[in-house]
Amino acid sequence: MSDKPFFVGYLPAPGGLRGCLVLAGALLMLGMAAAGFALGVAQDDPGEGAFRFDYGRQTVTGVVELTPYPLIHVTEGNDRIKAGETFMMSAGGKSGVDGRAAPLAGQVAQVSGVMLERGDLYMLQLRGGRNGIRAAEGSGAVPEPQDLGRWRLAGEICDGKCLSGAMRPGRGLAHKACANLCLLGDVPPVFVSTQPVEGSEFLLITGPDGTALPEAAYDYVAQYVTVEGQVRRHGSLLVFAMDPDTLALAP
Amino acid sequence: MSIAPSLIFFLQVWGGVGAGVALLFLAWGIDRIDEDARGAYVFRVLIIPGILLIWPLVLWRWWQLEAQSGRWLARYQPVRRAHGLAALAMSVAIALIVFFGLSARQDWPADIAPVRVETGS
Amino acid sequence: MSVKYIPVQWNPNKWYYDGIMLVGVAAFLWVFLYITPDALGHERPINPQIHNARAFGACAFTMLTVILCIGPLARLDHRFLPLLYNRRHFGVMTAFVAATHAGYILDWYFAFSSRSPVQGLLEANTSYGQIAGFPFEILGVFALICLTLLAATSHDFWLKFLTPPVWKRLHYLIYAAYAAVVGHVVLGILQDDRGIGVNLLFIGGAALVCVLHLAAWWQGRAEPMGIAATGWVQVAPVDAFREGFAKITKLPDGDRVAVFLHEGQLSAIANACAHQNGPLGEGKIVDCLVTCPWHGFQYDVRNGQSPAPFTEKVPTYLVKVEGGAVFVNPAANPPGTAVAPVPLEKGAT
Repeated sequence: MSDKPFFVGYLPAPGGLRGCLVLAGALLMLGMAAAGFALGVAQDDPGEGAFRFDYGRQTVTGVVELTPYPLIHVTEGNDRIKAGETFMMSAGGKSGVDGRAAPLAGQVAQVSGVMLERGDLYMLQLRGGRNGIRAAEGSGAVPEPQDLGRWRLAGEICDGKCLSGAMRPGRGLAHKACANLCLLGDVPPVFVSTQPVEGSEFLLITGPDGTALPEAAYDYVAQYVTVEGQVRRHGSLLVFAMDPDTLALAP
Repeated sequence: MSIAPSLIFFLQVWGGVGAGVALLFLAWGIDRIDEDARGAYVFRVLIIPGILLIWPLVLWRWWQLEAQSGRWLARYQPVRRAHGLAALAMSVAIALIVFFGLSARQDWPADIAPVRVETGS
Repeated sequence: MSVKYIPVQWNPNKWYYDGIMLVGVAAFLWVFLYITPDALGHERPINPQIHNARAFGACAFTMLTVILCIGPLARLDHRFLPLLYNRRHFGVMTAFVAATHAGYILDWYFAFSSRSPVQGLLEANTSYGQIAGFPFEILGVFALICLTLLAATSHDFWLKFLTPPVWKRLHYLIYAAYAAVVGHVVLGILQDDRGIGVNLLFIGGAALVCVLHLAAWWQGRAEPMGIAATGWVQVAPVDAFREGFAKITKLPDGDRVAVFLHEGQLSAIANACAHQNGPLGEGKIVDCLVTCPWHGFQYDVRNGQSPAPFTEKVPTYLVKVEGGAVFVNPAANPPGTAVAPVPLEKGAT
C-alpha cells in the first residue's frame, strides 16, 4: 500500500514501475522464445518410415489373398518389389482396399501405387479405382500358409499405414486415435514385436479364424502389450491371428 | 452405438437456437437493457460468439433485467471463497492427473522375447 | 469504463502490452517452427502438420501457464498488477493459438477418413476406462470450449450484463480448462516423449501455477473480520488512516467495505468495483477519485458514482468516529447514494 507506485492502465506507467515492466516484458519475450526452443528440440525422432514418392509409381502383378486384410503375392515384380514377395495395401487416406480386392480373391491382379517403407516393412498405397487394382492376365495361386505355431509376443499394435511412414511419428499413444481411425477404415493392423519372430519384426494382425482385428484390441492400440496367437507365414509375410482373450499390458 | 452423430446434432441445434437469440437480443433486446449499447453497433459483432455459446444465460439475465428482479447488492459481492476452492480443486486435479498419468507410462518391453507356446501343425 | 461500447478501448499501455505479447508468441512459434527442425537433425523430419500442431499446442500451453501465474503474482506482489490490466487480450490470443492447434490436429489426424473430422474425433478412441490410452483429445476439446467461451465473453459488455460475480464464476472455468490441458498433455505427448526437458517444462509449468495459486490463497485466507459493536462494525483506529488511501474491513455478512480518508474526511464505499469487482480499497485516490487498482475505474468517494459521462456506481456506507476508532454501518446504501463525509478528528479518544 501507501507510497508504492500505483499503476493506472490508461495513464503513463509511474517511474518506479517502469523498470519492472520493461524487465517483465523482456523476460516474457525471451522466455517465450526459450520455451519454444526447449519444447521444439525435445521432440523424438519419428523414425525412418516414409512415403517413397522418390521410388516412383510401383506397378506389379500378383495373386490376391484375403486374410481378411488383402495381400498380394507377387508373381511379376519390378526393381523394387520382387516376384515371391508378399505385401499389404491401403487406399488413399485412412482406408483399406478390402472392397476392391474382395472380388479378386485368389485371382491374379495388377496393383499400382506408391510405396510406404519402414525398414523391412512396406506397403503399397494404391491408386484410385481400377487404376489401383484390377484383374490381370497370368497364372498363379495363393501359396499355402505355413503354420508356425502359437506364440506369445510382446510389442505394440499399430495401424500398418502410419507405422510404415504415412505419418511421422505414426505410432505411440499421442497417435492412438489416428491409428484407431485408420484401423476402423480397414487399414491393415501391424504388430511391432520387441524382437524378431522367425526373422520378422513386423506381423500383420488378424483376429482368430480369419476375422478382422478384434474390437477388444482397439483399447490396446499403441500401448505395449503381450498377446498370444497363431503365427502363419503367408508367402513372405507373417500373419498373427491374435487371441483377444490373452491381451494384457506388458509389465 | 456411437453417440457422436447425436452430439453433433445437439451442438448444431444449440448453435441454431443461439443464432436466433443473438439476432433477437442484438437487434432489439440489448438496447432495452443497457444504455451503453444504444447507438453502439460495431461491438455487437464481438458479442455474437458469446451468445451462441451461453444463450440460456443470456435469456436468463435479459429476463432478470427486464423484470428488474435481481438483487442490486449481488453485483458487489465478489466470489472470493469460491476462488480459493477453485484454485485448490485445480491443484489437486493437476497433482492427481500428473501422478497417475506418469505412473501409467510404459517402457518398451525390449527384453520380453517372443515365445512359441505351441508348435505348428 | 463504458460510455458507449466500442470493440476495444485502446490506450498506449494496451498497445505495449499486446505488442510484447505478440512478439513473445511470434518468437515462440518462429523458434519452434523454423529453428528447431535443424537443431533436431532427424534423418526424416516430423510431418509439417504435426510439427505445426505441436508448435501451436505448446505455445498455447505456455501462454496459459503465464496467464494463470499473473493473478496470484499480482496478489502476492502489487508490482505485478500492470500485467493483470490487459490479461483478457492475452486470453483471447491464447484461444486463437489453441484453436489453430486444434485445426491442425483435426485437419491431419482426423482427416482423410470416411468420417467427418469431428465425428472421427469423437468415435476413433473410446477407451475412456483407462489412463494410458485415454482419449486425451477430449480433454483438449473441453479446454478449447472453455477458452473460446472465456474469449467470447471477454468484452466489458458481458461484465456489466452478467454482473461481475456471475462473470467471474463463468471465468473460473479457466481452472478446469487448465487442469484439462495438463491432462491433455500428460495423457498425450508425455506418454510418448520421455525427454527430461519436455517433462520438466510441462510439469514444471503446471506445478508453478499450482504453487502460486496455493500461496496466494494461503496468504489471503486469514483476513480479520471487523469488530461489530452495537450494529456498527469497527474498521480501525483513527491513527491507522492515511490521506488518499483506504482501510478495508470485512462485514459480518462477508461483504467488504473500503473506508477512504480524503482531504481529512472519511467516506466508505463497497470494496468491489462495479466493473470486475476489483478491490477498490487497495487502490488510491487519484485526482480526487478512488481509482481501482485493476483497470483504473474511478468513483467519487462521497457518493460512489463514476464521474460523468461514466455511469458506474458502487454502494456507499455510513461512517462514524467514536472513541478513537472508525466504524461503518454494515447496511449498504443503494449504489450512488451520497453520504456526507465524516471528519477524522484525529486524536479523539
